[in-house]
Parts: sequence; C-alpha cells; structure tokens
Amino acid sequence: MLTTIEAKLISVLEKGRLYTIDEASKLSGLSKDAVLKAAYLLQEKGYVKVHEKVWKEYELTDEGLKYLTEGLPEERLYEELLSGSKDISELERKLGKGELKIALGWLRRKGAIKIEDGVVKLVSKPEFKERAVLNEIYENRTAEVDEKLLKDLIRRKLVKEEEAKEILIKVVSKPEVELKEKIADLTPELLISGGWKGKEFLEYDIKIPAREVFTAKVHPYERIIRECRKIFLEMGFTEIKGHYVQSAFWNFDALFQPQDHPAREMQDTFYLDKYVDIDEELAYKVKETHENGWITGSKGWGGKWDINKARQLVLRTHTTAITIHYLAMNPEPPVKAFCIDRVYRREAIDATHLPEFDQLEGVVLDENVGFKDLLGLLREFFLKMGFEDVRFRPGYFPYTEPSVEPEVYVEGLGWIELGGAGIFRKEVTEPLGIKGKVLAWGLGIGRLAMLRLGMKDLRMLYNPDLGWLRNLPAIKR
Amino acid sequence: MPVVTLYWDELEELVGKSREEILKKLPMLGCDVERVEEDHVDVEFFPNRPDLYSVEGVARALKGFMDIEFGYIDYEVKKGNWKIYVDESVLRVRPRIVGCVVRNIRIDDRVLRSMIEVQEDLHWTIGRNRRKMAIGIHDLDKISFPLKYTAVSEEFSFVPLDFEEEMSVKEILERHPKGKEYRFILEKAEAYPMIIDSKGNAISFPPIINAELTRVTERTTNLFIDVTGFDENVDKALKILAAMFADRGGKLESVEIIYPNKREETPDMSPRVLEVKKSEIYSLLGFKLSDEEIKLALGRMRYGFEIGEEVVKVFIPPYRADIMHEWDVIEDIAIGYGYDRIQPTYPPTPGIGREHEWFKLRELIREIMIGLGFTEVITFTLTNEKAQYEFMRRRAEPWKDFVPVMHPLTEEHTIIRTDILPKLLEVLANNKHHAMPQKIFEVGDVVVNLKNRLRLAACVTHSKANFSEIRSYVQALMRELDLEWDVKESEDEAFIKGRRADIIVRGKKIGVFGEIHPEVLEKFDLSNPVAAFEIDLSEIFDTGYII
Repeated sequence: MLTTIEAKLISVLEKGRLYTIDEASKLSGLSKDAVLKAAYLLQEKGYVKVHEKVWKEYELTDEGLKYLTEGLPEERLYEELLSGSKDISELERKLGKGELKIALGWLRRKGAIKIEDGVVKLVSKPEFKERAVLNEIYENRTAEVDEKLLKDLIRRKLVKEEEAKEILIKVVSKPEVELKEKIADLTPELLISGGWKGKEFLEYDIKIPAREVFTAKVHPYERIIRECRKIFLEMGFTEIKGHYVQSAFWNFDALFQPQDHPAREMQDTFYLDKYVDIDEELAYKVKETHENGWITGSKGWGGKWDINKARQLVLRTHTTAITIHYLAMNPEPPVKAFCIDRVYRREAIDATHLPEFDQLEGVVLDENVGFKDLLGLLREFFLKMGFEDVRFRPGYFPYTEPSVEPEVYVEGLGWIELGGAGIFRKEVTEPLGIKGKVLAWGLGIGRLAMLRLGMKDLRMLYNPDLGWLRNLPAIKR
Repeated sequence: MPVVTLYWDELEELVGKSREEILKKLPMLGCDVERVEEDHVDVEFFPNRPDLYSVEGVARALKGFMDIEFGYIDYEVKKGNWKIYVDESVLRVRPRIVGCVVRNIRIDDRVLRSMIEVQEDLHWTIGRNRRKMAIGIHDLDKISFPLKYTAVSEEFSFVPLDFEEEMSVKEILERHPKGKEYRFILEKAEAYPMIIDSKGNAISFPPIINAELTRVTERTTNLFIDVTGFDENVDKALKILAAMFADRGGKLESVEIIYPNKREETPDMSPRVLEVKKSEIYSLLGFKLSDEEIKLALGRMRYGFEIGEEVVKVFIPPYRADIMHEWDVIEDIAIGYGYDRIQPTYPPTPGIGREHEWFKLRELIREIMIGLGFTEVITFTLTNEKAQYEFMRRRAEPWKDFVPVMHPLTEEHTIIRTDILPKLLEVLANNKHHAMPQKIFEVGDVVVNLKNRLRLAACVTHSKANFSEIRSYVQALMRELDLEWDVKESEDEAFIKGRRADIIVRGKKIGVFGEIHPEVLEKFDLSNPVAAFEIDLSEIFDTGYII
C-alpha cells in the first residue's frame, strides 16, 4: 500500500525519465520535503530509483569580484609599465604596497619584468587569461577552463570551490494496483464534510515510541501509608493525631521510662528549651510508680523522680506518646485506636537512619484480652499487609510486658523483624487510670517501604528525586 | 543495647550442645542474633537482661531453655572473714559499697577477655555509664584486709592500672585515659572515693580506675570484687558477677561491710520470692496453662517454684535484676512455654473504623492536586532558619515564630518548619536536571506556636512559569473546596511585587501565591521561574482534635 504522498508523486511521473526534486515538486504539488520522503519510500518498494548527482561549483570571492571589475593587480602593473620603466616607490604609491607585491610576483613568474636598482622594467608581453576565467565563473558558476589556472585562482582566494548535490528521481516501474489516497490526519473538516468516507487511513508504524509523558501521582510512601490506614480502618480502629511537640511526661514518664534511661539523654532526643505544667494528681501517681511501684504491684525503678524533667518539651520520639495520652483520655474499654505519623530521633543521617521518620502504631484496650490476642492482631495485620508467614520472638520494650518482636518471611530475604509489640505494663496503665489491658504494636513505615519499593536508602523518601518518582510504577511486582 | 560476642568453643563447651542447635534456640530466648561467624556469634541482648552479658550467663539460660538443666541454681556463699570499713567521709560522695571473694578460679585469656567485656556492658547498662554503679575486680592475694572505703583529697596518689608511676587523683583525672573519660561523674566533688587496704595501699579509685597493684592476670587464682555506687544497682551487678564466677567453678565467700551505723553481708545470693496469681497468668496470656506447663516453663527459665491452689510461689534467681512485677515472671512463663506454641486469636474487641479529619482532608487535597497535574513530594519537617526565612526574604524571631531545637546535630536541622514552600524550592533545586515543566506539592504539617497546622504548598517551574498560571491553579483549588475567596495585594517579600497576592477567605488571610522573587530563586540556586502558593488549611477547615 502506498501512502498519499507516494501515490501523488508516482502518479505524475513518467517512467524512465529523470526528474529533479524541484520538477517533481511542481508536478505533484507536494513540498520538496514530501517529495524526498515519498521518493525514498517508493525506492524501498522498488518503484523508484533515487540518484544522487554530485559535482563541483565555483564562486568568486569578494576579492575575485573586485579584480573582475578592476583588473588583476598584475594587469594594472603591466599597464603602468607600458609607459616605461618605473621606480618601485612610485609604483607603490599608485598600486599600494600589498597589491604591488602580488603584481610583481605574478609578472616575474610570467617572465615579463626585471627589477634592477629599484627600477621595474618590462621585458616581454605576458598572457592574461585569469580575468576571462573569473568572468566565466561569474556567469556560469562552472569552469570548463584550464585546471592549473583554476587552481591558482583558488589558491589566491579569488575563487571558492563548493560541492553541489542534486537528487534525481526516476520511476523504474509503476505499481499495477489502483492508487488510492489515504487519510493522514482525521480533521474536524473531514468529519463534518464526511470526506473520510470510502477512504482508508494512513497506517502508522506502531512500534515507534512516542514522547514520554509522566503522570502526576501520590508519593509511593503515602501509598503505603494509605494502605496501612485502610487496614486499620477495616479492622475497626479510630484514627488519632497528635502534635509533634510533646512533654517528656507523655513521651517518656507516662510510659514508665526511667528518667535516667539512655534513650532520654540529649544524645538521642531533640529537646526544646521550654517547660509545661503537668497535672499534679497524674504527676503524683507517675512519680510514686517510678519510685516504688505505687499500687501497681511493682518495685518501681527506685531513686527520685523529678517533675521538672517531665515538664520539658521534646520532639516526640515515638507515636506511643500520642496513643498513651489518648488512652488516658479514654480509659474505659473498649478502645481501638491507631496513629501513623512523624517521629524524631537525634540520629546522624545515613542510608538506614534518619532524624525523622514515620511510625505506625495501634492499640486495643479491653478487659478480657491477653497476649494470644495480641499475637492474633499482629498476624491479621501482617496478613492484610501481604505477609503470609509471621512468627513471634520475645522482645523488650520498657513499657510492655510481655513484649514480642514479630517477624515476617520475605522471599529472598528470609525472616525480617518488622516492628515491636506488647501489652502495656501495669506501671503504665494504672497511674493513668486505664482500665483493662492494652495490646499495642508499632513499626517504622520506612522499613516497610524498603521492603515494598526495594529501596536501599531511606533518604530517598524525604528527598524526592523527580526522576525516581516519575519512573516508579504505581504497582510494584 | 549491648552486643555480646560469644565464642563457639566456649559456648558449646559450657552448654554441651552444638552450635546449630544453639543457634536455633537462641532467638526464642529473647535476643537478636547480629552476626554468625566461624569462631563466634555476636548477639544483642535486651537491656533488661544484664545477666546475659557473659558467656556464662548465656550458657546458664540456654541449659535451662534447651532442657539440659532444670530449675533454680542455689549459689553457696561461704561466710568469709573479709571486712570493709566504710568511712563517714565517703557517704556524701559515693555511699554504697558491696564486695565478694571468689576462690579457686582458673583465669585464662578467654576468662580475662570475657571479664572485661561483661564489666563494660554492666557499667553501661545498670551503671548508666558508671554513674550509678562501678565495678572493680582484683587479685585477692595482693590485698591485705581489712579494707577501708573512704574519701581522699585530690593530692592522694597511687599507681593506677596501666601506668608505672604514682599519680595523684588530680593527675589521674587530667591525664589518665579512664580519668578523662569518667571525670564528669566526679565533677564538683570535694573529696574522692578510695578503697585502701590495711597496708595503706590504694586498690581502687571508684568509679575511675583500679590500682596496678591488684591487676588480674592469668596467674591469679582468687578474686576480690568491689562494686560501688548509690543504691541497689550495686547489689544487682555484684550478684550477676558472683553467679558468673560461680558458674566458672569459683567458690564464693562473703564480705562484711561495716558502715558507721550498720553492718551488711554481701553478696546475698538467696532468691527473692514473688507470689504470682495463676488467674493473672491466664488473664495476661489469654489462655489457661496446666500446673505442669507452668512448672516446666518456670524451670526452663531457671526459676524455683512452689505451685499452690491459686498462687505460684516463684523463687527469683539472685542474678535476675529485671524482675519488678509479677508480669515480668509471666512473660518468662510465656517464653519458657514457647512463643511459637501460643495459638494466636483475633481479639473480640468491637470497634468502628473512624478516619481523623486531618487525614481525611489531606486525602481530599491530594486528590485535587493530583487532578491538577501536581506530583506529591514528602520532605523533612526539620530545617533551618536560613532556608525558611533568610533565603525567602522573610523575617522571623525564635520562639515567637519558630521552635529552635536544643543541641541540633547539624546546621541543616535546627528548627521545625513553619512553612512548606521553602522545602519545595529545595526539592526543585535538587531536580533541576529533570525534564520541565515540574509541578510539585506537599500537604503536611508545620509547627506554629508549638502546635501542628495542616498546610498545602505547590510550585510550578518551567521557562514560562508565571502569575497567571499559578492563579489558575488557585482558582481551581478554591472552586473544588467550595470557598468564596478574594485577593489582596501581598507584602510577602518571597514574591515579586505586583505579582503576589494574599488569599482572603471570610476576611482572613489563609495563604499567598505569586511569582517567586528572583533573589529567592538565586538563593536556592534555581534557574527557571517558579510560581507557587501556600495555604493554611487549619485556618479554614476543622482538622479534628489533636492531642
């Protein structure tokens, strides 16, 4: 099948004759580009032969043009000398130093002059063919002239040599089938006029890639967070939200973190130079629990508990600061709550450590639940996340007892620890008046993202590279 | 958390099982196996189990857990004739001291190494970097009892460990590596704790350094251990060390501590008794265990026990420093029973899923912005004054306008952001090499007056980005949010004058948009025009209760 331009072109050309592109363009009404394109397409199909004719073209330089009208310097010198021998200094004044030098050189080469004691004397009449050649080139751009002369003129920069090319088309055979015009672009005009009817459409090479476009999209990390939220909501949890700035009381003390615990030191936590008031009754109960266990049945940590340490503000180090506060405000079971949000640790940045990251946390408060229910929750949660194999190892967190570290099986990586869980200690729940047992678990979303997105460097999440975002598939298999 | 290096030859010998069997059981005891090598394994034990910071302690626990031994170990302590007199003067500096003598112990290089490691780990955890508790282990035969625990001046001198000449306390604190490392503990002290023997030789300068005189070598056969500090943490550490040396075959002898007003005999290796209600076990674990199962679990975890009708009398080994509450024992019952044997059940607790308004709004905004062709980015909320204000040609005062963080780690992260826009400009600067146009947004938190607020910021950049383009997007957003709004000439210097507008809703400024000022672009090293907006969503929407 021929395209419209191929058909148009071949229909106007006679077989066996050579056409220039100009001629073919005039005959077919196609642009020169279109003729060329059609000719090569037709050549591929064996209907046309495309010849390239290459030749040389000559053109006068500005200097050549000047000499053509004024005469060459040697001609002008010759004319000066016709009236007798002359002093070089006199000739210099007439011809100029530069031109005189050229003229003397050429006349000497032609054996026409002699120079004695600064006086130039004519000895024979030379032949001047150069101007005729310049004239011919000026008129025809070709030179059927003496090669040697032409070369001299080119060397003298009076003539420029250029390569010229002409493309000629010859039809070698005409296709037998009837030529039918095809529609390239379907236009509103064609649709309105119905002009497309009975015609065929030009077929494109569907294998040629088109320009790349990229979709605007949700950040892949948010997509994972979205998935986690959905799971919690499906499981009947209430979403909660807390401020980034919290008191050390809610971040540490309420969670029975001893005040001299290494995690509370300036090295690990971002503190703010600001203090807030803590409810006195609450502070009393927490103080007693830390020091001697209060009524919780615990020995407590011993030592002295200092309310001023609890009053200082921190950038929360975990979302548990929020869940525990929420439970303190909602101490009657049943409660099911979750929180997915930013937390801070005073850590130097590397591929797996960031000073801020997102954490997911869920809590269930109920009377008649126990450790096996926590394991059941974890199993269900991870199953919904797509991890079918989950196992449980003993763990340790200062505010839970028993504690557990869930692990999920990931093909190619083996068992991966994914977060931590446990039942809030009585030392945590009783001072806050929380009635029942609190099953709690949490994990860093970054870890999940690394597994899901196959990332090696957590920094990519918070330092977006548009190339990465644009090319990352919405679904990762 | 301390990582303990356990050498296979030692561990296999002490436990009596192969490394393969040990490796299988180890994680279920409660630890993270960090690295398995040909000759050793590195294991991270939890900070509540300092009794597992030595190969002896791990072997003891494993022997129970792997059913090689069962139940409680009764550590015999012979009454010794070793006395320490505590002088009144030291009571204000570092009031408590306990001690123990270990006889007939064979010290080889492995024991020496393990001894040093366990001291370091105990110093760090129980000792809180030697502040609360510090240990000294000495060659008993170099010491003349009775000892005196007293306070001395900074002129007092002796030959400290690893040195050959006498040094004064002052010199030690200034020059000795350990002195420099731990002098912070004795800052502002008027007198310094010192243990001196009956010949007048100093044997230890707690919590800094021992004397060279009593150095433990491979020829040492009898040990004296001192632990100094403030409270019962000294007893915890001493009991762990005593049990460890007893497991190595040493014979323990007690040391009498004579205070000005009381006497004490240490170590007390008798068990602590805790009554654990069976009902509490069933309730916390969520299922019923038979008495037999409880016994087996407790014995495996090396507890002693007497099972009664309703209560289990649990004998807690002296080296277990972590048991504060009956729940701690119940956790051990669960571990002894085996976490892998517990049948998980989904809790029956009812609940209805409820989204928080904050996140609901965020999702809605995200949908609109993506519809407008903007790609979402996430950035840090930690930033610095320079990027937030100076680069933006904006003014701000600490505490009034932003929260400075104490002891920042880097100059990059000194405050929590109050605006998102500067973060987006940073993102554009990092992405100059990617194809234009670029349209990005972030919907997230800023902290103003210590409280979180929900903000939306968006940027467009390409060679022709301008005011009318960003205005189109603001118009579209406002239409989608069904907000009646108006504009007012803005004063915000981050934008070009005459091409900047405050967004007014219900008479209040809720945001700003326009063409970013070229000086700002220059500061962020951007070479294409940027048009942008930022809107405070907390100003116009109910974003729900925030704790």
